[in-house]
Amino acid sequence: MARVYLKDIAHGRSGDKGDTCNICVFARDPKDYDFLREYLTAERVKEHFGDMVKGEVIRYEVPTLKGFNFVMKHALDGGATISLRQDNLGKSMASALMRMVIDDYENEKKGDKNENQ
Amino acid sequence: MKRVRIGGGQGFWGDSPDGAIHLVKEGDIQYLGCDYLAELTLSIMQRQKLKNPKDGYAKDFIKLMETIAEECKEKNIRVISNAGGMNIVEAVNQLSNVIKKQNIKNYKIGYVLGDDIKDRLPELMKEGLEFRNIDTGHKIDEIMDRIVNVNVYYGHEPLKECIERGADTVIVGRCTDSALFLAPLAYEFKWQKNDYDKLARGIMAGHMLECGGQVTGGNYDFDWRAVHDMDNLGYPIVEMTDDSFYITKTEKSGGLVTEESCKEQILYEVHDPSNYMTPDVVVDLSRVELEEVGKDKVEIKNIRGRASSDKYKLSVGYHAGFKVVTHLAFAWPDAYEKAQYAADIIMKKMKRKNLKVEDMRIDYIGLNSLHLGLADTSLEVVNNLNEVVLRIAIRTLEKEEAYKIVPEIAPLQLNGPPGASFFGGRARIQEVIALWPTFIPKDAVKLTSHIREVE
Repeated sequence: MARVYLKDIAHGRSGDKGDTCNICVFARDPKDYDFLREYLTAERVKEHFGDMVKGEVIRYEVPTLKGFNFVMKHALDGGATISLRQDNLGKSMASALMRMVIDDYENEKKGDKNENQ
Repeated sequence: MKRVRIGGGQGFWGDSPDGAIHLVKEGDIQYLGCDYLAELTLSIMQRQKLKNPKDGYAKDFIKLMETIAEECKEKNIRVISNAGGMNIVEAVNQLSNVIKKQNIKNYKIGYVLGDDIKDRLPELMKEGLEFRNIDTGHKIDEIMDRIVNVNVYYGHEPLKECIERGADTVIVGRCTDSALFLAPLAYEFKWQKNDYDKLARGIMAGHMLECGGQVTGGNYDFDWRAVHDMDNLGYPIVEMTDDSFYITKTEKSGGLVTEESCKEQILYEVHDPSNYMTPDVVVDLSRVELEEVGKDKVEIKNIRGRASSDKYKLSVGYHAGFKVVTHLAFAWPDAYEKAQYAADIIMKKMKRKNLKVEDMRIDYIGLNSLHLGLADTSLEVVNNLNEVVLRIAIRTLEKEEAYKIVPEIAPLQLNGPPGASFFGGRARIQEVIALWPTFIPKDAVKLTSHIREVE
């Protein structure tokens, strides 16, 4: 049973367009893509950010890249110069997502395997 | 088979010129694209132009050209840039001066006018255009008296015309960043308006190049420690044929090009990957494939395109008040507790001064200013902080309101909790410019291509 941060199994980058922030996330090991597809849902990402992201979170899947693009509305406190945040351009939002803790990582993967058997 | 190499020389206004200079020397490129404009850059440039009519463009570009123009002319490297910002003609004048001073012969500067439509707004509104905010649905009337700039995000065609007419350098304002790179590719390969897949490939070439070092090892989350010689980070080169597309860099530079560095850039600031909209083409990245085909060389395949809409996006910046950010540092012991107490003192004083704010934030740099509520602020972390910087930011409607907090920070070194350290001088009040996202029908915009021959 392992407790991992998302950063241990994924990498990504974040950016801004106005008050919308997008974070792309890719599985470090392609084998983890299916697990991430199950685990890293838009709902879970929205819940993770809590107050930081006021609007909806949409997830787009890009299986050929073993990755996802999360588009988060009203995520940057108004965005650009309106925002009073230190990181008004959302450059550190990817790392904020990457600190998500995944409990029982091995178990979840085993669970997947069991289903396949 | 025809092969065209384009370098991405600038990621933003304020980027280092080193990457671009290296590309000219060592990149074996035929074109160099230099992007200077982010979402709010034009508003800042317009403010500069209002203060000084000869200002309002990216002067960095002229400096860069002082260094590279002669070598570019010799090697027939054509330079394409949106450095013209809000004062394209003045940028052309300044580049002409450089060319004359360096005695470079037969030089043609291409430029495109017509993206700045602020003065045409009333006339267009009379014709019935409402420029509704795409987020809120509101009509633009409510910000009319506060508008700073109105510019059209246009596509590659007028730039291509300048290249066709022999321009050594093309200077434009607010075309899309990616059009700077699509224009020479469409010219070289004679891509037509309905070659959607090819145009989409050209747009993505631009997308991969327009952020400079971000695809060659900069901001590389996958494994930043693996990026060698970051002090000499190579800027990216796209190698394109009529039916293939590679990202690479020079051997002599630092950095890397890997599948992962390309992945992180390809979805950067993209929303729906199957529907990436530009004025030239709508790009579908949903089945894109990346493959490392050699050292620092990645092939990008399976990009699809389809027709773009009949509208251009507009970049409208409008005045939305003022903001000021203040800092005060505290050291161990009890750094966080002292900083919190200082914040409390400031807040009480501001209340007495009857400060009226639109918004306010209190954060602690070194603890939670980036990850905010997600930061670890457990007692274990907080009690052991060596130092922390109190950051107070306020946004106000009136400048005088913002000023109320400015003189109150430094005195806390003598009048507040012990060990406070003030740095950076008194905080500067900044104008807040907000964006009004909206569209304009393409046929309401008149873009014109020009050539100035420098004798």
